[in-house]
Amino acid sequence: MHWAFVVALGFAVGILVGVMGIGGGIIVVPALVHLFGMDQHLAQGTSLFIILPPLGLGALSVYWKKREVDLRAGIICALGMLAGGYIGGRIAVGMNSARLGSAFGLFLMFAAILLWRRSDAPASTGAVRA
Amino acid sequence: MPDSNPFAVFATACVVGVASGLFGIGGGVLLVPLLVLLHHFGQHRAQGTSLVALVPPTGLLAFITYYRAHQVDVRTGLMIIPGVFIGGILGGRLAVGLSALHLRRIVACILFALGAYEFLGPLLR
Repeated sequence: MHWAFVVALGFAVGILVGVMGIGGGIIVVPALVHLFGMDQHLAQGTSLFIILPPLGLGALSVYWKKREVDLRAGIICALGMLAGGYIGGRIAVGMNSARLGSAFGLFLMFAAILLWRRSDAPASTGAVRA
Repeated sequence: MPDSNPFAVFATACVVGVASGLFGIGGGVLLVPLLVLLHHFGQHRAQGTSLVALVPPTGLLAFITYYRAHQVDVRTGLMIIPGVFIGGILGGRLAVGLSALHLRRIVACILFALGAYEFLGPLLR
């Protein structure tokens, strides 16, 4: 895979993330699987690596200025997600790739429904979600 | 301002975390609607709060689990990061002039089709 293609993919994902204010992982994982031919586990591990840095920090400052942040709930959520992520990672590594791919497919359909239904928050806040 | 029950929020976040580790995603796509539906947050407040939750590397423990199992392509990941960051800023600016609703629905359709393909694919083979 040519490096320029990989960089371009990241750029395209970033634009979608910024416009829609959704997580990049949900787009990165299928892109790595279908465009790069990665195994489901490898794509998911690589996606988790990509979202380690706080890419949404710029967007957070916008929300912070508008006082649209519940700091206490955010910290609680971070702790819960850290714990849950460990459990989810353990489960995923133990599953075979085909079954994990099926489960991911089910989750994608569920996320697509959530994405479709979401009330249209003004995108002018420039939601850059990591 | 919702007077959210911290234990209920924590339980919700744990569920989101399991999905995050299981599917290698950030979890915002799940956390935002759950904060709105279960904890009565406004859409903006849910998105802002989700961004706070994503500042610390919440996927770290999940990442380490994948890394130990040799399921991380660090080189490809490093090449994708700058694009996502720069593209995200550009996308945020584009959002002002673009119909985010239409774009989101187009992407929702693509994700749904992709999900159906991945779900049914192994069963059909």
